[in-house]
Amino acid sequence: MSNHHTHVEGEYIPETYIPHAESHGTKSLWRTFWLLLAITIVDFIIYFVAPASLFRNIVFVAFGIVKAVFIVGIFMHLNYEAKFLRYMIILPAIVFLSYLVWLLLLEGNYVSIAKYF
Amino acid sequence: MALFRNCLDFLDFIPLFRKVKSKLATLILMSNSATVSSSSIWAGGRSPFNVSYGKLMMWIFLLSDAFTFSSLLVGYGAIRFSYAGSSTPWPEPANVFNHFPFMHGMHLPLLFVSLMTFILIFSSVTMVLAVEAGHRNSKKEVSNYMILTILGGLAFLGCQAWEWTQFIHEGGRLSHNNFGLTSEALAKANALGFGDHVHWEAADRVPGPVPFASLFFIVTGFHGFHVLSGVVINIIIWLNVVRGTYERRGHYEMVEKVGLYWHFVDLVWVFVFTFYYLI
Repeated sequence: MSNHHTHVEGEYIPETYIPHAESHGTKSLWRTFWLLLAITIVDFIIYFVAPASLFRNIVFVAFGIVKAVFIVGIFMHLNYEAKFLRYMIILPAIVFLSYLVWLLLLEGNYVSIAKYF
Repeated sequence: MALFRNCLDFLDFIPLFRKVKSKLATLILMSNSATVSSSSIWAGGRSPFNVSYGKLMMWIFLLSDAFTFSSLLVGYGAIRFSYAGSSTPWPEPANVFNHFPFMHGMHLPLLFVSLMTFILIFSSVTMVLAVEAGHRNSKKEVSNYMILTILGGLAFLGCQAWEWTQFIHEGGRLSHNNFGLTSEALAKANALGFGDHVHWEAADRVPGPVPFASLFFIVTGFHGFHVLSGVVINIIIWLNVVRGTYERRGHYEMVEKVGLYWHFVDLVWVFVFTFYYLI
């Protein structure tokens, strides 16, 4: 089956529809692997070179997010999927998680102030 | 049915309506949108996401699973923040996870867990290579790459078992841990360099925050359970590959679906690694 089909009555059956998959080659896969490995090594170096600080933690989280983008985009192939599918997966995660992180870390901070300060 | 599908076509004489329809067509169909006439979009008979039913369901499952892991990690963050300023502060990961096999008594923080990260990233790349080989219908390559992926998963599980053994041996329990250090011991710990000899007396250790050990078991355990089920599913799919099930079917989409699950396990590990070991 192909995703370039012109519509024929009765051709499309949702439960068995398989779009034609094409190989994009292994170059981008290996590039992603080396990138993930490099970021992990840089994480390791920063951990021992820089003293613990808020900035260092922000760098670690940012590196984690960069790794996540490449795993989801290249390894999980989401970059090549239809636009609606991309947004259906990405938007709920970004919107709800950023809200949840903000809300709960703030709350944890308040608990600490109430208990110990 | 055709009557309902095309029931809005009578509005085609309005130029704006035609324009909106073709815009929607471009949005919904990324591929060959220029050649698709707008009326065929409204006639149905297409996958709006241009993806199979099974793969779409896998994505939705993974999104819900992402929220499960996120709730655990965000809860971890909130509890950890709530201990700021406590007399029993949150333990430094470097003082807890500093072991490496066959390097007894050495202070080697982050080394073992970096190895585990490498193993998981590598098994991820072999998985995606299996998927790529599946697109070329190369049964032999799919089988070989899946074997490598399964071996990587087993190696990771072995590492995690070793990590848990160390943690329990040192006194980590679901409801208790003694990873708190007295102020003298803490000063000694902060002066430790990479590879230095380290030995803690019982008097150095004091009870630390209970959620530290509890959440360690729950979060890494839940992740490890995902790895374990991923390995089992990979073995089942690999057997199907070897038996030629997908060769007869004409496509290797099942490999893609388990691949999605396997990469998700890697994705979760990135954040467990960041929040448990780095920060």
